[in-house]
Amino acid sequence: MTSSAGKSKKKGSINGLYRQAGLTGTIALILGIGFLLVPLLPGEFPVIVAVEILILGLFAMSFNLIYGYMGQISFGHAAFFGLGAYATALMFRAFQGATGEIGYLDFFLSLLSAVPVSAMGALVVGFFCVRLTGIYFALLSLAFGELVFYVVFSWYGFTGGDDGIQGLMPPPFFRDTVNYYYFTLAIVAIAVVVLWRITQSPFGYSLRMLRENQQRAAFLGINVRLCMLVNFVIAGTFAGVAGALWGPFQRSVSPVLLGWTQSGIPVFMTLIGGASFFGGPMVGSVIYTALNSYVTRFTMYWPLTIGVIILFLVLFVPGGILSVVDARMAAYRRRRESDADISAGSADGREGVQ
Amino acid sequence: MPTDIGSILIQLFSGLSRAMMLFLVSSGLSLIFGVMNILNFAHATLWLLGGYLTYTLFQLFSNTFGDHALLIVPAIVIVTGIMFVLGWVLERVLIRRMYAREVPEQLLLTFALILIFGDLIKLIWGVQNRRIFLPIEPIAVFDSYVNPYFFVIIAAGFGVAGGLWWFLHRTRYGKIVRAAVYSRDMVSALGIRIPTIYAGVFALGIAIAAFSAGVFLPIMPIGLGLDMDLIIQCFAVVVIGGFGSILGTFVASIIVGIVYAFSIFIWPGGALAIIFLILVAVLIWRPWGLFGTEMRY
Repeated sequence: MTSSAGKSKKKGSINGLYRQAGLTGTIALILGIGFLLVPLLPGEFPVIVAVEILILGLFAMSFNLIYGYMGQISFGHAAFFGLGAYATALMFRAFQGATGEIGYLDFFLSLLSAVPVSAMGALVVGFFCVRLTGIYFALLSLAFGELVFYVVFSWYGFTGGDDGIQGLMPPPFFRDTVNYYYFTLAIVAIAVVVLWRITQSPFGYSLRMLRENQQRAAFLGINVRLCMLVNFVIAGTFAGVAGALWGPFQRSVSPVLLGWTQSGIPVFMTLIGGASFFGGPMVGSVIYTALNSYVTRFTMYWPLTIGVIILFLVLFVPGGILSVVDARMAAYRRRRESDADISAGSADGREGVQ
Repeated sequence: MPTDIGSILIQLFSGLSRAMMLFLVSSGLSLIFGVMNILNFAHATLWLLGGYLTYTLFQLFSNTFGDHALLIVPAIVIVTGIMFVLGWVLERVLIRRMYAREVPEQLLLTFALILIFGDLIKLIWGVQNRRIFLPIEPIAVFDSYVNPYFFVIIAAGFGVAGGLWWFLHRTRYGKIVRAAVYSRDMVSALGIRIPTIYAGVFALGIAIAAFSAGVFLPIMPIGLGLDMDLIIQCFAVVVIGGFGSILGTFVASIIVGIVYAFSIFIWPGGALAIIFLILVAVLIWRPWGLFGTEMRY
């Protein structure tokens, strides 16, 4: 929402930037500057919301690797988010000992432990899921997600069951919300750059091919299942990184993080922002999380409000917010060019999931 | 494992009645997916709405005509009718626009319906659990006590299963519905109005769900959030049985219900983990379900 509003105000300069950097670059710049400046806003609340936006945005972007790029729906993606969160939380508990304090090195180690755990989880789940496509892929990932959820939920001795794990107090420096915010911003920024590199690599292009036609991809020598599995593991690992950041931020983890309602969040964010754009899930996260946080402050009946908004978006903005922005910018450019009587030959190859 | 026959019987009854509820909600879900290819996430929320409506209507009747257990029957019938109409309207206004869309967009729309109806329920009925108390004496079975209402539920489940089978296999409209599952183009080429069939199937699914909510009200309190647990179990049932297969849904409901009840002896609290393990196994082994056809895979 913020980005589109900003755009209509000063169309000229943004349009120039847009032509230079493309939609993804423009969004990256606007969001990047926006995120850096968030702590200047009054009060602690915007910073807390921004941490949530970043973590859930990374979660949604990892999901879009499977949905937008590979063309399959992982409806159990929260399992990897939750595995990352629980791996961090359990290591955190082990390092904390009796004092409840944790050293900086131990803190980073516990965050890092999310990577192998979620990657292993994604490897096992992915091994079976990539044998299916379409609705069965979605259902099997959902079934695995719920299986992990109920195991964590019922295994009191190890995971604390439905009580979850509390008292995850990060080291003194990170207790300050703004410090933790910049720490999260740095990690998410690195992760987003890595994701961008992956989507622009030959591997990323074979994923797009798998989305369009798996049979043809196989004929061209792409190992379909291996390619899907590698992508599944990458997506699961990034979801795990997002989950790792969640526990120390909330000071606790609970099984809700693995459930299917949590798996729905990246789906909604991606569809709201626009699945066919690299930055779509992050834009969706800004809109969804900000709405969620601010509407809750004004009314008790926020699900109703958010439900009506989602209904409206699904019915009238099917490609997500960014598709509207993209179409508007393209139309504006065309008009400008025909006004100036420039030949209409300015090819642009930046449409669709780039 | 306990060996006394009484507690085994109790678990059997509770498992069977749970199976009946799962079947009644899942059969509509399965039918809607089989005919229209729409996964209706909001199905259990509409089920919950039906339950609350039945509760209110029953209270109204009791206040007007005095306490009588049988007053629940007209309440259930009227609510089933209301929800049929609501289902029809929903299909006409919203679901219809989703047929050409991709699966996640359909999920998003029905999820929006969950949020909207869930919050409307909270707005109207508040957050307390609701329940109907019927004056029924438990009867003794092998030194344990069983609520005879269980028999009503099991009869209702078998009745709806039989009725649905009769409707789909022995009536003209049922045959049209089954034909639409295989080839909607051919059916519409024969001059049959596909949109009306779709609206009717959606409304029927919702109505069966609302009926089951009413039937279960006397033994199961309903509350907010119950729909979220139920819908995910119903998905498990529908997938294990095979989309679009009423027989499959029925068998899968009984499997899930019995496993749920008897898992208390093996791993208390782990019932749903076991059920989702079964679901994972079925999806790996036969993604189209036990009684589904491979066609859609």
